[in-house]
Amino acid sequence: MTTMRRFCCNDLLRFTSVNLDHLTETFNMSFYMTYLARWPDYFHVAEAPGGRIMGYIMGKVEGQGESWHGHVTAVTVAPEYRRQQLAKKLMNLLEDISDKIDKAYFVDLFVRASNSPAIKMYGKLGYVIYRRVLRYYSGEEDGLDMRKALSRDVEKKSIIPLKRPVTPDELEYD
Amino acid sequence: MASKFGLAGGIPERRVRPIWDAIDSRQFKNALKHCTTLLSKHPNSPYALALKALILERMGKADEALSISLNAKELLLSNDAVLIDDLTLSTLQIVFQRLDHLDMATSCYEYACGKFPNNLELMMGLFNCYVREYSFVKQQQIAIKMYKAVGEERFLLWAVCSIQLQVCCGNAGEKLLALAEGLIKKHIASHSLHEPEALIVYISLLEQQSKFGNALEILSGNLGSLIMIEGDRLRMQGKLLARAGDYAAAADIFEKVLQLSPDDWEYFLHYMGCLFDNESSMCMGTGGNPMGSTKSVECKNLKLPDEVFDSRISRASTFIHKLLVECNNDSIRCPYLANLEIERIKLVYGKVDADKLVEGLMQYFSRFGHLACFASDVELFLRVLDPRKKSEFLEKLLEGCDSTTDSPVKALGRSISVFKIQNSIDNMFTLSTGDLEGLAVQMVDMYCKSLPLSKDLDIQENMHGEELLSMTCNVLVQLFWRTRDIGYLLESVMILEFGLTVRRYIWQYKILLLHLYSFWGCLPVAHEWYKSLDVKNILLETVSHHILPQMLVSPLWSDLNDLLNDYLKFMDDHFRESADLTFLAYRHRNYSKVIEFVQFKERLQRSSQYLVAKIEAPILQLKQNAYSIQEEEGILEGLKCGNPFVELSNEIGNKSLTFNEDLELRPWWTPTFDKNYLLGPFEGVSYCPKESLIKQSEANVLKAIEKRSLIPRLIYLSIHCASSVKEHAEDNGSTSDPKLSLELKILLERYASILGFAFKDAVELVLGVSRSQKPLEVLSSDIVDWMNFVVFLNAWNQNSHEIGFSARETWNLVNCLLKKYILEKITSIGPLVSSPGSNLPVLVQLITEPVSWHSLVIQSCARTLVPSGKKKKKSGSADQNTNLQSHEIQDSIQSLCDIIGEVTKWVNVQIKEPDDKKFESIFSSLQRNEHSQGPGKIVFMLENFISSANDVQLGDRIFQALQQWSAADVARKILAGQRTLLSEFLRICEVKVKSLQALKVHL
Repeated sequence: MTTMRRFCCNDLLRFTSVNLDHLTETFNMSFYMTYLARWPDYFHVAEAPGGRIMGYIMGKVEGQGESWHGHVTAVTVAPEYRRQQLAKKLMNLLEDISDKIDKAYFVDLFVRASNSPAIKMYGKLGYVIYRRVLRYYSGEEDGLDMRKALSRDVEKKSIIPLKRPVTPDELEYD
Repeated sequence: MASKFGLAGGIPERRVRPIWDAIDSRQFKNALKHCTTLLSKHPNSPYALALKALILERMGKADEALSISLNAKELLLSNDAVLIDDLTLSTLQIVFQRLDHLDMATSCYEYACGKFPNNLELMMGLFNCYVREYSFVKQQQIAIKMYKAVGEERFLLWAVCSIQLQVCCGNAGEKLLALAEGLIKKHIASHSLHEPEALIVYISLLEQQSKFGNALEILSGNLGSLIMIEGDRLRMQGKLLARAGDYAAAADIFEKVLQLSPDDWEYFLHYMGCLFDNESSMCMGTGGNPMGSTKSVECKNLKLPDEVFDSRISRASTFIHKLLVECNNDSIRCPYLANLEIERIKLVYGKVDADKLVEGLMQYFSRFGHLACFASDVELFLRVLDPRKKSEFLEKLLEGCDSTTDSPVKALGRSISVFKIQNSIDNMFTLSTGDLEGLAVQMVDMYCKSLPLSKDLDIQENMHGEELLSMTCNVLVQLFWRTRDIGYLLESVMILEFGLTVRRYIWQYKILLLHLYSFWGCLPVAHEWYKSLDVKNILLETVSHHILPQMLVSPLWSDLNDLLNDYLKFMDDHFRESADLTFLAYRHRNYSKVIEFVQFKERLQRSSQYLVAKIEAPILQLKQNAYSIQEEEGILEGLKCGNPFVELSNEIGNKSLTFNEDLELRPWWTPTFDKNYLLGPFEGVSYCPKESLIKQSEANVLKAIEKRSLIPRLIYLSIHCASSVKEHAEDNGSTSDPKLSLELKILLERYASILGFAFKDAVELVLGVSRSQKPLEVLSSDIVDWMNFVVFLNAWNQNSHEIGFSARETWNLVNCLLKKYILEKITSIGPLVSSPGSNLPVLVQLITEPVSWHSLVIQSCARTLVPSGKKKKKSGSADQNTNLQSHEIQDSIQSLCDIIGEVTKWVNVQIKEPDDKKFESIFSSLQRNEHSQGPGKIVFMLENFISSANDVQLGDRIFQALQQWSAADVARKILAGQRTLLSEFLRICEVKVKSLQALKVHL
């Protein structure tokens, strides 16, 4: 059972077991709080009975014209609650808000090219590799920009893969 | 007055651009050069001056930056001809903020707003200044001005939030909320509302005033459509109905919520609460405090007639049944768990016997038993079962576990769940030693056999069965606690090191290991594992408790210094930037976050750990420099002679501190930062509930902060009082300030009272112990504090006649007590390698605190008797006194040197004992035989497993990893860690002896 609700500051004091995971980055405070201050609808937490935090998703909405899109900045699930489709539920929530509230064209995310379990999971959720971003992660590892079209993009133009990789400075948004 | 197009602060943009570019690329020298050129053309431009100040501040030249900023401010405020624009003011604001002079930035904006009323840009700037200063009333006033000027909804809401802040974070009464409500009402009448957040704030305002009916009316009217997600609107509606006491209507609404989100456990609990007319869990508000951890419907106060109870429980059952039919989906567990909750309530009300609940639990197990969260899901329901039923349930689980035909991964998951249940019902503490050993063997066997299941997993992914090794460790630790056989402790360390060799990312193992290593005197290794957890940012607040308390009493000063500095920097940085983030929330119209951010900042400011670090960081500095009184005086001056800490100590009683440490992840044997079961005899842990332990620990922290905050000032006063020893003072008339002596007495009284004694009694007690009239044990539990007391008492007595002891008597008192206790510690500690949980930290504290402070008192006296550069005088009666005192001081120095010498000798023995011998002494604790009783079986199993492992079955990665593990290496790691710790301690002792000997020569 999962209660989904908006993430709030106090959750920062309770997400230890999620964030000690080596793949989950613990950002600085202004990073979290900027997301909370600007896109509170894109920052949700899943809570188990007894108030344990199961996982959370943080993201934003940005872009102009047909590149107006939802973006998944981080999605993570505590070890105890893995293998029960929680990440999928969190992703669906963000997609829903991008689609229905903000009327975005697509949702995108970046993933390390080496993180095959995650790439596989996003694939299952309907994301395709839109382009490769060379040396995106600390100037070392390539990133993959994965996208999923939303209902507003009727012809699914936003997810037609680019033929060539791009460099980080060619990216439209940080 | 506003910036014209192409102008920045009245200066052409093209001239300013290079300066900003240079600042952005951190080429400050270059920026300064450009700026000097600019200033030669515009010497009276406040903007150019502000830029220069900004650059200087970035270069670390705070004083120059401040002086130039003040110039700019002066120009702005006095010269009518100069241009005032937001760019100039905001640049200046940045500098003032970084220099901690927020008030100056505010006064610039206030002036500008007075000069150019109705300028929105400037008013926003001023509003921002008030946000930074947390001046809620002024925020409100300027927001209202902006609202009046342009009539925009957002400014009205800024004012409303400012009012709410006055009520929830300031001193204002709730009456003020009516004013906010009136403002919004009036605005709605003329303009309506357009932002969902504005509506949320409005409803929260009504809710705070218990106007639930009005809030419901608004929500169901036109404005309700601002909440675009139906589920969100229904949730709000349901909660308002419940708070208004209309439980029937609320229950109807919650059914709708659950139909939309059948997995929402929290709302299922609200639903049940309403069915049983209990709204205690309902509380909304915009403070960002979600209803949180409502654990279950509490029905204790429920007095429903039988037939009502029956009909409501049957309504719940029917509804949940319907949900189950509609969403027959294994990824939705709430309705299944809801069934258990219904059975639990029936049981609590005596409607059914426990068998029904056990049956329900078994059904839940058969569906979800393989999930890692099964045990925590059902934890709550197990609590209502009596021990007999719990055991019955466990037996059924064990049967159910065997008969399953699941996939191997699921079967493994179910077995792990059974182990966890066994653990959570305290079964472990009643099993015999033999059974516990059997259990550990069983779990390790299962772990080894399940490794092939993880063969194809990426190293980043959690492996199947990882929890088995944590659980094995927990069993082994318990075996150690029961038997005191260090073999079990060694095995528990080995099993975790083994697990981390197989996959190095498992933080659960690292946390257990760091506590085991700390317990065994291998703090450097513990600290290494802690570092590998990559604890940073907000985790510093929640996770540091795993290592900080041990480090505070260790000789690893440099690592401790890093820990404290990183943590304090994180907190202080947040306090500095928090207001800007609050303003960001205002700007983006997320008003509910405004209040949340302010409350969160306050919560962190009241953090007990923050206060501990604030006081321990300077104490560490004082410890590190105690070898030199000059250094120490410099530090004390920087600490304002310890005065701010005394104030902190005075205020602590009135502060409501927050405890933000996440204690959930601590091992069972050390559930809080100041409790370690392993230090006492085996008793089982269920005798003391965790909640009361936590309360006790929190009370201890408060007391510790109150006490430790006095130390810097006590040191300062002691140095001063000791610098005018009484006989000497009488002779040559150079008395120290009597106020200082009086203050020292008052602080000593406080210190004694924190220790639980009146000053006089405390003095009698320590004298009694020193004369062997009282046993040593009477001071043992707070020995470091008592020795500090004695040291400061002696310093005070050098300048006071009040307690009727001669200076000599209290010198002897200190010498005698330090000697007694330190020697007692050395003899009782035993060899570190085979004495886990030893008293070494106390010994370290005695040397690094009371001994250090005492050496400062000695240095201070010596300086008075023999001022540097002067030779000892050799005539007259004053000299007789001087000689006497000099003699006493020499005695004290000798006594300290002897004591530290004994410690050094002990440490050297520990360090110099051959490693092979030490290795043998712990390694031999493992019997290393499969069939014998006692520790060793697990290691034996692992070694066998490794030698028979094959790469085809396990995959190359796991196979290779296994080959790297060696039991002997783990034992050597323990020895190396202990050696490092002891060497650091030895170094500290040697520095002390050296400086004391140098002093003695000087006398």
